[in-house]
Amino acid sequence: MPFSFIEIEEKKTKIIGFLFVFIIFFYFLTAYLILLVLVNTSLFSSVEDGGVRYFTLPSLQHTLIVFVVASVVGLLHWWASTSDLINKICGLIGAVPIDSKDTYHQYLKNIVEEVSVAIGGRPLEAWVLPSVSMNAFALEDFNGRAVIGVTEGLLTRLSRAQIEAVVGHEAGHIISGDCLSTTVTCALAEIYEEGSTHLASGLNKMRGRSSGVLVLVYMILAVMRFFSSLIRYFISRQREYRADAVSTRLTRDPLSLAEALKLISTNWRGSGAQGEKLQSIFIMNPAYNGLDEKEGLFSDMFSTHPPIKNRIGILLNMAHLDEKTLEENLKNFKRVSPIAEVETKIEESDLGRKWFAFIGQEWQGPFGISELKNMPALTPEDWVRPDGSQGVIHAYEDKALLGLFSKDAGAGDKEKSLCPHCKVSLEEVTYEGAPMLKCNYCQGVFVEEGKVSRILIRQDKQFSEEIARLGKTLISEKQKFAAKQGTDNVWALDCPKCSRKMLRQFFVYSYPVEVDRCAYCGGTWFDKYELEILQYLYENKEVLFKQGLT
Amino acid sequence: MIIMLVLLAAILLVGGWFFTTYNSLVSLKVRVENAWSQIDVQLKRRHDLIPNLVEAVKGYMNYEKDTLERVIKARNQAIDASSIKDKAQAENFLSSTLKSLFAVVERYPDLKANQNVLKLQEELTSTENKISFARQYYNDEAGRFNTQILIVPGNIVAGAVGFTQRDFFQIEDKTEKEVPQVKF
Repeated sequence: MPFSFIEIEEKKTKIIGFLFVFIIFFYFLTAYLILLVLVNTSLFSSVEDGGVRYFTLPSLQHTLIVFVVASVVGLLHWWASTSDLINKICGLIGAVPIDSKDTYHQYLKNIVEEVSVAIGGRPLEAWVLPSVSMNAFALEDFNGRAVIGVTEGLLTRLSRAQIEAVVGHEAGHIISGDCLSTTVTCALAEIYEEGSTHLASGLNKMRGRSSGVLVLVYMILAVMRFFSSLIRYFISRQREYRADAVSTRLTRDPLSLAEALKLISTNWRGSGAQGEKLQSIFIMNPAYNGLDEKEGLFSDMFSTHPPIKNRIGILLNMAHLDEKTLEENLKNFKRVSPIAEVETKIEESDLGRKWFAFIGQEWQGPFGISELKNMPALTPEDWVRPDGSQGVIHAYEDKALLGLFSKDAGAGDKEKSLCPHCKVSLEEVTYEGAPMLKCNYCQGVFVEEGKVSRILIRQDKQFSEEIARLGKTLISEKQKFAAKQGTDNVWALDCPKCSRKMLRQFFVYSYPVEVDRCAYCGGTWFDKYELEILQYLYENKEVLFKQGLT
Repeated sequence: MIIMLVLLAAILLVGGWFFTTYNSLVSLKVRVENAWSQIDVQLKRRHDLIPNLVEAVKGYMNYEKDTLERVIKARNQAIDASSIKDKAQAENFLSSTLKSLFAVVERYPDLKANQNVLKLQEELTSTENKISFARQYYNDEAGRFNTQILIVPGNIVAGAVGFTQRDFFQIEDKTEKEVPQVKF
């Protein structure tokens, strides 16, 4: 370990104390400057001697008052920023706790737990940032609660070992003690960003009023902007190297970390609009910053992250490898999906099959698989005969039918959602690891708010010819379509979750797939194929749009 | 008088030194024990998962009964082991039988397509990783403790109060960092 436990604690307290003093001092300085301006303007009728103005300092009494006010404001700021630290920052960047029903999230939880064991059993929470970008972050608060978050994009594109290395890096920030100070610094700076945005919008309304107030507000605004940029000085770039070192110590796998860094650096690492303000909590600066890639005193002071080349270089050195091997590795890199293969081809083959079933002392049918599924009389012991074959077997002996029974087991007597078309109960399934509700009659699915993005980001699904054809047609015929905004009530579907009427609209205009959306809960109903087509369009956008234009 | 004072000071100094050294050794020892209990937790988790996995794959594997039996046997042996050395040995054996089980799973496309089996496999892989991380942490801590009771100030105190070296939790494989990797 780079530091002993006591050293870390001492260092933490020192930095936090320094930040606290700095904030009070900063407020004092600001208020004092304002006071100075006020005293020297005519408002406070300064000493005038035959038309010549003299520069005057405020009296001691005023200075004291200013000091007290500054301390109170500083304390309030401190209190406001540091209470509920983690939830606040996570809310800002849009991170959410993991969804225990989601296969990918469970997988992340396992990895984070593994790393937690590696650092000696300290509990770590796993959070997810629903974004296509690749990045990871760590947060810690005063109670020792620690959070490690990664983006969906990273979860989808890196291998297990690489994610482990990235999580190890974040854990490195937490155990070497720089995470708390970074989190606090971010929370402190964040108020200024927020404040200056509010002020700027307020300013527009105030235009034309007394100019004195305007000047004052402008001054505060400028100072706030300055402060939020100033606060970065507290964050040393060295801590990134240190966290890389800890990660290597934990996973004994410098190569995976180097690979992960390389992959992250060559992909988009942005994390939404707000993320860029809080760059120092991420493994790699979300906003590309030329300064990061430079060395020297100047960039050491102003930048939060060291040059990626250096970081990879050090790691490769540890692994006794050179850059060529890394590139070679990445070229041959193939990720293993945690999703079962069967899911990726939603039993297309079984859909066409038919069975005769021996029910009520007579042969009935032929039935499709979805009909059998919703037939309450069918038990695993019943005799069935696949269409086109003469052999009679038990229902459980047919693999496709066996699947029906095992899925039924978990259904329970929970309040069931109904398919808006067929009015039969929907079944909970996972698709690319994301939980959703599916109708076995019409093959439509209902996806709750925020989960569509997960499916779009993940790439486990192999698309059939038919989907590709439909997708291409949709793009080339795009202009002919117009979404029916505000459909009449007869055709509007009921939301399976909250039973309100849903709106028929394009998913988004660039992906002209028509879907039904519930304005109340944010859930989306996809009819058969609609989800796959949307996914196909999203994942092949470059190719498709180029074709569509020519 | 002066001699008495000097003697008193010397006794105080030596006593103070003795106790600080003793305390730091004890805190190291506690950390080692804590690290050991971490391994135990993970080992138990693995022992609990194995019957589930065997149950899930049993139906599919008619011709691989002996692989499954070997896994079960290795698991029972691992549960019975008590000393650190025995445990390490039994767990190694269990790891290798699991490896062969996973290799067999590879040959059955039906199994690879079963999300339940896949989930169990992921859980087991994760537990294997946790075991190896816990072992690594334990070995680090044990190593630190062993060094402290061997080097000069520590060995006197350790000799006086009877601290002995801790066994490392070792695996036979040369490739220390290699955990049985499961390919899906």
